[in-house]
Amino acid sequence: MAGIKALVGLSFSGAIGLTFLLLGCALEQYGVYWPLFVLIFYVLSPIPTFISRRLSDDTESSSNACRELAYFLTTGIVVSAFGLPIVLARVNTIQWGACGLVMTGNAVIFLTILGFFVVFGGGDDFSWEQW
Amino acid sequence: MWCLVYMRGVEHHSYFMSGFLDGIRCGDCECNVDWGERRNTIASIAAGVLFFTGWWIIIDAAVKYPEEGDFHHAYHTCGVIATVAFLMINAVSNGQVRGDSYSEGCMGQTGARVWLFIGFMLAFGSLIASMWILFGGFVVPQKHVVYPGIAIFFQNAFIFFGGSLAVMDSVCSCPRFHTLLSILYENMLQWLYSLYINFF
Repeated sequence: MAGIKALVGLSFSGAIGLTFLLLGCALEQYGVYWPLFVLIFYVLSPIPTFISRRLSDDTESSSNACRELAYFLTTGIVVSAFGLPIVLARVNTIQWGACGLVMTGNAVIFLTILGFFVVFGGGDDFSWEQW
Repeated sequence: MWCLVYMRGVEHHSYFMSGFLDGIRCGDCECNVDWGERRNTIASIAAGVLFFTGWWIIIDAAVKYPEEGDFHHAYHTCGVIATVAFLMINAVSNGQVRGDSYSEGCMGQTGARVWLFIGFMLAFGSLIASMWILFGGFVVPQKHVVYPGIAIFFQNAFIFFGGSLAVMDSVCSCPRFHTLLSILYENMLQWLYSLYINFF
């Protein structure tokens, strides 16, 4: 385990990211809550990597088709989380300022999730007993 | 640098060229172990970015122009066929086509080749169809909004290049491809040199 400081730091950045997302919805000049749909993409994004790590227990195999598929799907989910606010802003469902705030929140949350995988997920002792 | 060698004559440049390309090949072979895994990761991430960006472009165009007159709904077929082709191409691993993998699969080596052939035909076909839709459906009739046509073209172009990233990666690392490339390169240089002589 990499320690409690990393956990606190990652949860702080996660809270900052969610703050950006909620600011994009709840500020007075914006007021619409459509951007909350990107929460679906936040929840979906670690799942392919979890599944591929669960299915293939050997971490020393060089080219793993399952892992590459997981990277492909995760990239798709990340791109979709950035694409949804842009499409919503282009049809004026949300304003461009809200879109900018949501995309900033996206970036922070996805960096947090990546940080989770780098700090806690790597190595041979990735087992489900940790949870 | 090879221009200097040119002045000295054709027979010298072929030695230089083959040595140059041999250096490239040996460099690839040596650091293939470390770099191969990272290259596969980068290729799959880049393929994912391109593929999903293509789909979000068409979603954007469909949301912006929902009427049938601006964006004929049947044009979506092009992107769907391109996605099916992309899935077909990536379902077959390189080992199955070459015949040296452990599992034969349902159809064997010939079946894998036919599957890949059909997949590539659908991919090229949808790319050509997207260009046809752009020019035949939007540019030539001079519709007042051309953006849906451009979106269809870019969607299919992105899906095509995203899908071929995985295959290009394994094709480019095949040693026979390097040989073919070096032969083509030498012939092209000789042809250009003869043109230069004729101009003189």
